[in-house]
Amino acid sequence: MLLIILISVAVIVFFAGNAVRIVHFLRMPTPLRWELYPIPKGPRARQRYGGSYFEQSDWWTKSPDTGRTGELAFMAKEVFLLRSVWENFRGLWLWSWLLHWGLYFYLLTTVLAVLAAVLRAGSFRLLHLAVLYGFPLACSLGVAGSLGLLVMRSLHPRLRGYTTRSSVFNLTLLGAVFVTGLLSLSDGAGLDGLVRVLLRSPASLGHYGKISQAHLALVAFFLAYFPFTHMTHAYMKYFTWHGVRWNDSPAIHDPRAAKRLAASLQREATWAAAHIAAGGPVKWSEVASDPGGRGAGRA
Amino acid sequence: MRKIGDIASQTGQLTEVHNLVPLPPPYDRVEDLPARKELKPEVLDRIDTSLDGFSALGLSRPQTPEEERKFIDRFLSGLEKLLSADNNWTFLEPLNLSLDHCARCQSCVEACPIYTASGHDEVYRPTFRSEVFRRLVNQYHKSGGRALAWLKGEDIELNAATLCRLLESAYRCTLCRRCAQACPMGVDNALLTREIRKLFSMEMGIAPKEIHDKGSMLQLRTGSSTGMNARAVRDNVAFLDEEIRDQTGLTIETPWDKEGADVLLIHNAGEVLAWPENPMAFAIILEAAGISWTMSSDLAGYDSVNYGLWYDDAQFARVAVRQAEAARKLKVKKIVLGECGHGHKASMVTADRLLCGDLNVPRESALVLLRDIVMSGRLALDPSRNDFPVTLHDPCNMVRMMGIVEPQREILRKICPQFREMTPHGVDNYCCGGGSGFAIMSGYNFADWRFSVAGRMKLKQILNAFADCPSPAVKKYVCAPCSNCKGQFRDLFQYYGVWEKSGILYGGLAELIVNAMADISQPYIKWEFH
Repeated sequence: MLLIILISVAVIVFFAGNAVRIVHFLRMPTPLRWELYPIPKGPRARQRYGGSYFEQSDWWTKSPDTGRTGELAFMAKEVFLLRSVWENFRGLWLWSWLLHWGLYFYLLTTVLAVLAAVLRAGSFRLLHLAVLYGFPLACSLGVAGSLGLLVMRSLHPRLRGYTTRSSVFNLTLLGAVFVTGLLSLSDGAGLDGLVRVLLRSPASLGHYGKISQAHLALVAFFLAYFPFTHMTHAYMKYFTWHGVRWNDSPAIHDPRAAKRLAASLQREATWAAAHIAAGGPVKWSEVASDPGGRGAGRA
Repeated sequence: MRKIGDIASQTGQLTEVHNLVPLPPPYDRVEDLPARKELKPEVLDRIDTSLDGFSALGLSRPQTPEEERKFIDRFLSGLEKLLSADNNWTFLEPLNLSLDHCARCQSCVEACPIYTASGHDEVYRPTFRSEVFRRLVNQYHKSGGRALAWLKGEDIELNAATLCRLLESAYRCTLCRRCAQACPMGVDNALLTREIRKLFSMEMGIAPKEIHDKGSMLQLRTGSSTGMNARAVRDNVAFLDEEIRDQTGLTIETPWDKEGADVLLIHNAGEVLAWPENPMAFAIILEAAGISWTMSSDLAGYDSVNYGLWYDDAQFARVAVRQAEAARKLKVKKIVLGECGHGHKASMVTADRLLCGDLNVPRESALVLLRDIVMSGRLALDPSRNDFPVTLHDPCNMVRMMGIVEPQREILRKICPQFREMTPHGVDNYCCGGGSGFAIMSGYNFADWRFSVAGRMKLKQILNAFADCPSPAVKKYVCAPCSNCKGQFRDLFQYYGVWEKSGILYGGLAELIVNAMADISQPYIKWEFH
């Protein structure tokens, strides 16, 4: 029963925590532009060398660059092939790739197992086979990846000084999830069995072996822990890449830009340096229009 | 190997520059280089050099426990403001994204030319200062941060040494953002560096005097960071018009404050004083192409620099607004930014969401206008006049941060038969080493660091680009369409004796175009004025 409560709470914390995080960023004021090229938008020939719409004369009279396809293709390479790590830290790539694919397969097989349970699709042999073989594959990849990364983090001179207890804890936790996942197979349940029991008759979870229960407890802990870690980069890349690095949309094409700016300029700055608001709070509109700065003296 | 927590060490210097990446002969002879500037004992007593023996700011460490407490309190107060929407609506979102999502994978580190040039010195690793700052934020800003930091083994003692070194370290990065390109998460160490600079400037009033007191403050007061007021700049440009007549026989009178002109040309005003051949070349080209253009004598309307881009949002906003007001007043069709990289980025990119309505006057790069003129055939050009080896430096702000890559290359391919690329180039280029204000910062012994570390990879690149013709007898040209980069090349080349050893000259793009103009009888590029 305790395990059921733990899992339920973890799932709630997982979804609520991630939602709060996303809403938190969505509600932040629109920042000034800070893009970085290459940006996978605009004509393909220009994308190849990292060019932008600024290369055109009277660019503001031209249609703005679009490029969802380019962005998605770029992101797919990043997510599935870990392109940046491959290009910039080849020695780390294999272990990182194994861990990420372990997680992807784990997620995929869990979704398939849930589908099978919900659809009562015991007779869908393909689904059953995908879960049957996908789960051990996911766990094997994950074990290899997390172990490899633990060794790399402990020994590689490029990583050692930046490996903290939390890095070790995160990798150990992931490793433990995958190891217990593999060992749980010896309980005879398999992932689809566990998921089916969880969804249909959770009270009978106690009949499963200790390893399976430990695995579920670890998964629950990981779910609850995830929203509070840097591992949220899994989806926050949308903000860092699409929202900042690739966001070169000019204000001149944005009908809402003036309204957003007006709201920001009404904010009060309290920066204490002599040239800003040493005399007390001041609106940003006044900061920007103050031609000489507030006094030349520096502290 | 240095640990991150060492930044709080109360004694000693964190590192010493000694294991630099080697330069090719004859630049490998250390004995040929000028001696490093030795700081006098009374100066060393006064300023903090505990990061690496150099000082960009001349920062004084607090002398008493009370002063130290106050120093720390002011930092913590600034930290709160930096992480608040009211004080930092300008960059709060990207700041938080970069603070929260680093996986510490170190994929970015080899991209940093400073870290590479230093022989992989831990203190110059691009993640070093970011990690220190991230830990300070987590420990001293977030609730329960101290306990969590202790639990994770990520606690850092917050003392005056930590803060002095952190700030100095923020001036060991040129904000070139190569590391950000390499990051799988989209984390931006350069942005974090800029935010650290900003905290110290906007809350504590601490910034390098070259970019604040003698930079943005001077610009807001007189109209230009050079100190030239409107009258002085008009007098100087009138003198350049006379120079054009003497050199080329062309009679040109630079138009000032011409209402309704198609183009308001804003140079980096430093060009007028340090590289007058560049604004002269622009005047010759625009007149020959029949462009309707003007310059503005309004406050900041004749100087495209905006040093706030590197360290202070208030100063940044003030200058950006002044420049836009000058254009609005003249009712020009567009602003064209001269050959100034950070001026491009400040005006065309970062200020974009600050300028709404009629203040958002369209802004275009001079490289694009020059490309259109050259490719249109409006000028009679003879490429054989530029038949010497030419390579192109890509200013980070124009290229990596704005994607203006091809226009300058189209021009060079057309007018320079011996044009060759550096490796790497385009959006992957190396910074000149003078980025983010360094080119104008030489106080104390900072210039030695700038030449020996920051500019090292660029110098190697330039020498490699001309490896097929190393002799000083073969005159070679580095085209650097950016004032800041030219300032760095001027000092860097002088420091290493590049003209004497390799015959390499640096200059702008417009000068090469005028040099190729068939209508002008004398060569425009004066090699003897290296």
